[in-house]
Amino acid sequence: MSEKKMNLTVKLLSVLTCLALVLTWGLPEPTAQAKLKVGIIHIGSINDAGYNQAHSEGVQIMKKNLPNVEVIQVENVPEGADAERVMENMIKQGAQLIIPASFGYLDPALRVAKKYPDVKFVHPGGYKLAPNLGTYWASTPDAFYLMGIAAGKTTKTNKAGYVVALPISFFLANINAFHLGARSVNPKMETRVVFMGTFLDAPKEATATNALLDQGVDVLGVIVDSPITVVQAAEKRGAYSIGYHYLGVQKFASKGWVSGIAFTWGELYTRFAKQVMDGTWKSEALLGNLASDFLTIAPFGPVVPPDAIKLVNETKQEFINGKKNAYQGPIKDNKGVERVKAGEFWPLTNIGKMDWLVEGVIGQPK
Amino acid sequence: MNKAFLQIGFHHQWVASAIRFVGLFVLALVFFALILLVFGKNPLRAYADIFSATLGSAYGFSEVAVKMIPLILTALAVALPSRIWLINVGGEGQLFIGALFATWGAVNFTNLPVWLLLPWIGILGFIGGGLWGAISGYLRVRGWASETISTLLMNYVAILLVNFFVFGPWKDPESANYPQSAPFPDAAILPSFFGTRIHLGIVLAIVGLILFHFVLSRTRWGLEMRAIGVNQEAARRNGISTNRYIILLMLIGGGAAGVAGMGEVSAIHGQLRPSLSPGLGYTGFLISWMAGGHPIGIVAAAFLLSVITAGGDILQMTHRIPAAGVHILMALILFVVLARPAGKKGGK
Amino acid sequence: MIISFLISIISGAIHSGTPLLYATLSETVGERTGIVNLGLEGIMLIGAVVGFTTTVQTGNPLLGVLAAALAGGLFNMVFGFLVITRRANQLASGLALMFCGVGLSAMIGASFIGSRIQGLNEVRIPLFSDIPIVGRMFFNYDILVYSAIPVAVLVWWLMFRTRWGLGLRAVGENPTAAFAAGKNPHRLQYQALFIAGILGGIAGAHLSLAIAKTWAEWMTAGRGFIAVALVIFSKWHPLRAIAGALLFGGAISLQLQMQARGVPVSSFLLDMLPYVLSLVVLAIWSGARRHATPGSLGRVFQGTE
Repeated sequence: MSEKKMNLTVKLLSVLTCLALVLTWGLPEPTAQAKLKVGIIHIGSINDAGYNQAHSEGVQIMKKNLPNVEVIQVENVPEGADAERVMENMIKQGAQLIIPASFGYLDPALRVAKKYPDVKFVHPGGYKLAPNLGTYWASTPDAFYLMGIAAGKTTKTNKAGYVVALPISFFLANINAFHLGARSVNPKMETRVVFMGTFLDAPKEATATNALLDQGVDVLGVIVDSPITVVQAAEKRGAYSIGYHYLGVQKFASKGWVSGIAFTWGELYTRFAKQVMDGTWKSEALLGNLASDFLTIAPFGPVVPPDAIKLVNETKQEFINGKKNAYQGPIKDNKGVERVKAGEFWPLTNIGKMDWLVEGVIGQPK
Repeated sequence: MNKAFLQIGFHHQWVASAIRFVGLFVLALVFFALILLVFGKNPLRAYADIFSATLGSAYGFSEVAVKMIPLILTALAVALPSRIWLINVGGEGQLFIGALFATWGAVNFTNLPVWLLLPWIGILGFIGGGLWGAISGYLRVRGWASETISTLLMNYVAILLVNFFVFGPWKDPESANYPQSAPFPDAAILPSFFGTRIHLGIVLAIVGLILFHFVLSRTRWGLEMRAIGVNQEAARRNGISTNRYIILLMLIGGGAAGVAGMGEVSAIHGQLRPSLSPGLGYTGFLISWMAGGHPIGIVAAAFLLSVITAGGDILQMTHRIPAAGVHILMALILFVVLARPAGKKGGK
Repeated sequence: MIISFLISIISGAIHSGTPLLYATLSETVGERTGIVNLGLEGIMLIGAVVGFTTTVQTGNPLLGVLAAALAGGLFNMVFGFLVITRRANQLASGLALMFCGVGLSAMIGASFIGSRIQGLNEVRIPLFSDIPIVGRMFFNYDILVYSAIPVAVLVWWLMFRTRWGLGLRAVGENPTAAFAAGKNPHRLQYQALFIAGILGGIAGAHLSLAIAKTWAEWMTAGRGFIAVALVIFSKWHPLRAIAGALLFGGAISLQLQMQARGVPVSSFLLDMLPYVLSLVVLAIWSGARRHATPGSLGRVFQGTE
């Protein structure tokens, strides 16, 4: 490269560098007007009509309820180092409440929480607490039990199928509750489970749904990040479907919709924000149930028989009144081992240790 | 870093190509700015934010360094075999297997003191990644599969293998059946510096770079490797065992990626998880390629990509640019670098 | 029982194998002319998203397929510019194309996630579809599946029975010799890449319009890379690609079927099946393959290009 060109390039570079420095420190910072900044990180896209969208809509409702709250939202943040960095960046932007909206963010969040004891964290589904990190979740087994009742009375083949991301104990517990609920009204019910190995892979989910349908299943349930694919695939082959995460899924299954379980976090997030603002927030392991406003049973579809709807509502009340437990013994698992003795029940606080599937459920928990 | 600098010397040519590289980078920034404008965003503000978030603060800079550590190692994993024209796209899998072996060490030798356990899992990481790479080397030597394809496929197998262990035999009983290994004992966690997340792995990365440069330019092995690179047939006829080098370089390269895996699992995550690596192996391939397999270039390219990735968060946070924007920016930079007129094509 | 098992396996193989077949054909055309495209994943994603968004906006899935094909072809022209005109490193360019495809498709598709489409539905062929068993196995698919094998035959015919194809393969074997023989290597390669892009776009469209009937970021989940391996597996021959795609598609579907049947094997080990299978087959058939590799491609794989 010639001497002249080199000179020119060096000059150009210096100009650019100066420009960069000026822009960095010269431009005025936007003034902070909000009373509270809330940061939320998502593991996937907020338009997935599923897990992430439920959280995203939650913060949008919170924002609507509390106009002086500002929301910082980042999608597609990988777990691990990136999550920590994003959370720290949010804090540097003034966030006082952080919602790390994915199970795998727990450890990164705990590390960041230790560094910033004045910032509050609320983690969905976590199992460890810190003085400034609380967890929250809605205990879903009871809801799945209700779905089981509805499915058990709607099915014509007595076979249900579940497309599930991973054999995590929370998910296994849900399937077990579903199956027990179905069995309570339909002793011939069998439930088949296929694990995806991942939280989102639409073509694979469609193939899995078809595989289940090939086995004679006529009610499909789903525990993946986005329920659209499974529900649609079921609808296409005239099967019934049960939704999860997000109420809007119903429109994908106009004929075969049974019901669904949705998370409606809006009011809960509003409460969190208010508590942080007036200083009453405290770290706790919040576990909601059917009575909470963030766990919603979706409206029933036209195929569900009226007596099923009645039974579901009655059972729902029993759960709320504490008169019923989903895992009432005796329960054997699908390898023949007795897991719950007669007269006892598996406590909901022990869901984390449930690594087995109920007898009658066809699938590999490990 | 200074050592390497002095050894290379202040080459006029080298500086010239570096400056040209920067010019191309600026060109890519211009393209990206146009895209931003189309979507209604302010590119100047966006770039300013990226700059200040990454280089404008000590914290930002440390985060860039944290990202660079595994990237330098995975780039070396590609650069070394590339000297004899081997194409190692398997950095990801080698990284995972390295982490796997390191985890085995961490959970089975919990009683060792830190000064024994840490080097032990480091060695295990190297062995794990090295074995994985060597398999591909062996397949190549026997003429059964080109290493490009076998390393690619073995990436998938490696990730699934880790899944198997983390869901099954190694699952942390305290983790609500969530797929992760038991947390590493403190003795197995790489220490960090000055309250940042820059960890001891940075020493390994730098040592790796220095060794790489030294071996290639100052030892007989380096000479033989270059001979193979120039003309494989002639080298073989001169008594250089190309097959041995193929397996050896795939082993060492894989080992480097394995060490990166050990660093990630030990220092960043503290336990083995399926989400261990967001494509670090593939990014390392791109870095090595962009740098022409040259140690300083590797650092520069790793720096560049780390700044962009780390800066990507700001784009999402304050400018509502979707995460995909970072992918596009990276692609643009690559395109611009790739599309430069065929005058100065520096190796692989 | 056996019958239903067979039906499920075969129909699953055909269903999952179709996008793989189109993708493999795409890569075959490119590699036959001496160009490796690791960015196939990106092309498929562009095809998937363009196909999906077009279908949402026009309500016509066939238009979606058309748009996807066109988008794929054009997108591959960027790759063509880099590796043909600028003689850039093919592997790095491919990866860059992949990143671009991932990012671009995510941006385009962002506002369309959750949209509903009718998609490509099964086409019933009068009489044939009603044959018991065989009807369900072979005559119950959407038109992209039906046209997959004819397209493979078409590609074969184009490459092995036309002068154009001859020139293309000549360029792949030895560009200098082809040039000396009066061919225009660059033009042929561009044309080949355009066709490859069309095929890749169709592969992506099948994923989003027929199989999943939805759009999700990175929904190809690595299928583009698998196709690159399948090309080698099928020794760069379009007709053998059918076998390869069926095998791999079958393996994917098989492991899910096995889970649905309650086979007592860990789902992770089953998930590995397709990849391990490919590796094994690759290793077993290595000998004959060395001769089948297009000449200039060998140099790419040996890194001396």
